[in-house]
Amino acid sequence: MFRKYILTILALVGVGLGIVAALRSARTMVPTPMVSDAPTPPYQAFVAGAGLVEANTENIAIGTQLAGIVSQVYVKIGSPVAPGDPLFTIDDRAQRALVAQRQAAVLVAEPQVADAKYELKLAESLVPQGITVEVRDRDAFAVQKAEALLAQARADLKAAETDLERLTVRAPVAGQVLQLKIHPGEFAQVGVLAQPLILMGNVEPLAVRVDVDENDSWRVREGSPAVGYLRGNKEITTPLTYVRSEPYVIPKVSLTGAPGERVDTRVMQVIYSFPKGGLPIRPGQQMDVYIEASGKVGDRPAILRTTTVSNREPTAASR
Amino acid sequence: MSFIALKMLFGDRAKYLGIVIGLTFASLLITQQSAIFAGMMTRTFSFLTDVALPDIWVVDPQVKYIDDIRPMQNTEVLRVRGVEGVQWAVPLYKGNLAVRRTDGTYQSCVVIGLDDETLMGGPPTMLVGKLSDLRRSGGVIVDITGAAGKLAHVRPDGTRVPLKVGDEMEINDNHAVVVGICKVTQTFQANPVIYTTYSSATSFAPSQRLLLSFVTVKAKPGQDLHALCRRIEKVTGLRAYTRDDFKMVTFLYYLRHTGMPINFLTAVALGFLVGVAISGQTFYNFTLDNLRYFGTLKAMGAKNGMLLRMILLQALVVGGVGYGLGVGAASGWGMLVGGRTQLAFRLPWHLLVVSAVAVLVICLSSAALSIRKVMKLEPAVVFRS
Repeated sequence: MFRKYILTILALVGVGLGIVAALRSARTMVPTPMVSDAPTPPYQAFVAGAGLVEANTENIAIGTQLAGIVSQVYVKIGSPVAPGDPLFTIDDRAQRALVAQRQAAVLVAEPQVADAKYELKLAESLVPQGITVEVRDRDAFAVQKAEALLAQARADLKAAETDLERLTVRAPVAGQVLQLKIHPGEFAQVGVLAQPLILMGNVEPLAVRVDVDENDSWRVREGSPAVGYLRGNKEITTPLTYVRSEPYVIPKVSLTGAPGERVDTRVMQVIYSFPKGGLPIRPGQQMDVYIEASGKVGDRPAILRTTTVSNREPTAASR
Repeated sequence: MSFIALKMLFGDRAKYLGIVIGLTFASLLITQQSAIFAGMMTRTFSFLTDVALPDIWVVDPQVKYIDDIRPMQNTEVLRVRGVEGVQWAVPLYKGNLAVRRTDGTYQSCVVIGLDDETLMGGPPTMLVGKLSDLRRSGGVIVDITGAAGKLAHVRPDGTRVPLKVGDEMEINDNHAVVVGICKVTQTFQANPVIYTTYSSATSFAPSQRLLLSFVTVKAKPGQDLHALCRRIEKVTGLRAYTRDDFKMVTFLYYLRHTGMPINFLTAVALGFLVGVAISGQTFYNFTLDNLRYFGTLKAMGAKNGMLLRMILLQALVVGGVGYGLGVGAASGWGMLVGGRTQLAFRLPWHLLVVSAVAVLVICLSSAALSIRKVMKLEPAVVFRS
């Protein structure tokens, strides 16, 4: 009996296996979730840009006018500074010695003026006694010369003092030290350096420099509101206040850092600002910025539409 | 009457087995070959199967299928983001890079660079480590097939030691550290798959002006995907495909430009012919052998319609048994072997139907011959011999 039906049973098992295989093949892939959600902008039409956070004064790369070994640094990384606060001093011993020399020169010149004046006074008082006018005039010139020498010595002293003053570099604006790359004993170079000695700027409010592709730049109006999301966490977000658009469109700076990189596009830079407050956003970080745009993508801007209409009218009139 | 028909069928065991084996063989060959074909074709777009999150893929207009990568400008991501109806758009890098193995030989690997921020498009299954470990400097995640196979360390005695977390490797002369092991859907080229971040991938890749392979887009809820594709194309001048369209484009490309369809079609046709030849002939012989019983029945007054139903029943029973055995053997083999090796075996329910129809056609055409014979049968034949 069993032998008779064995094939039928095997066949039923086979159909079952086929259905199992089909079910297994039909299983759909569960999408791998993202590690952090991509931000979704609150506007109907918008332009997306890549933002780089910076100080509202722009990041100021502090340089020095005179090269030399740094003897003292007055600030720490992150310390707040007021305009005119000293930042660092370049070794000024030679300059101080020069100042002392110049001071001595003034001290030498001063009695020479007094001496010449005394001679002149004496000569003038002796003119009635028969001293020649020539002698008196010579003494008068001697006074002028001594006074000129004194003035020169004082000017030299002033120059030396100014140079001494210039050896101490001071903060140009109120702000915060963002980077400190110079330490006592290091040589401070003159000129524009790839690695600035000190990077500082005002960080309240912070500014964000937004790169907008040149193809989209026409959609950004002046004063458009925008919203920024910190890279890596879309919960860290802030509304942005329009500051200005840079009038000059620049080649995009690529962040891959490969040598010999060629420019692939140009970007318009728009500056926005936002209060730092307690936000964990630091200068130098990247943000995804969405700027509210006027028209839909592909729309013709109003200015072009009117031009087209006015172009068409004369054709109709001529007919 | 059905009972007599079945008794007739099972009674002649040799013929019964002959017919069933023929049908089993046909159904096995048809199911198995088409399942392997389906499996291989699915692998051509396995990357699209794995990256299931985005709705739309934006590529260069010249791209013909998923592995045909023509890089674009990085700012295209920003432009696509600005299109109305786009919820998010993130970049994705895909490329073939040479990986130096510990024994000094090179292996070409598929390197996938995920957007640094969201790490969108990660592997479907992580076996060791977390996807977010990719944020470690130079971190890469290697798929298990590659880690245990082509990328494994080979000891001097020939044993293979799989790559593990913490191992170092050289991708295109750049240092990288394995931070995780994952499992991906097998790829068509069967190269090992290495996941990393977009910025790492672009620094691993040879210096090129353009590096962005895909912009992947998620539409806002309720968007018409095709309309959104057209909008993206209008704005950026690129080509936008929905996920299913891109799969279809890739599938059609392989269908048109490789010899695979004709290969498998030939095998399937062969299975069909073998089925017809063996089963058809045996079934006909079986009917001839039993002609006298049919004659007796006819003489006893059975109508032609009844005999027809009897033969059809016999055909359907052998068909059903043969089909079941064939499909079962194919599926069992597929699941058994496919689970252990890199065999491409995929059995959508459509194939079960196709194979059933094929077997049905074989049975009915065999039965048709026999029916003709029985219809023309004179009841007197019984008494002649």
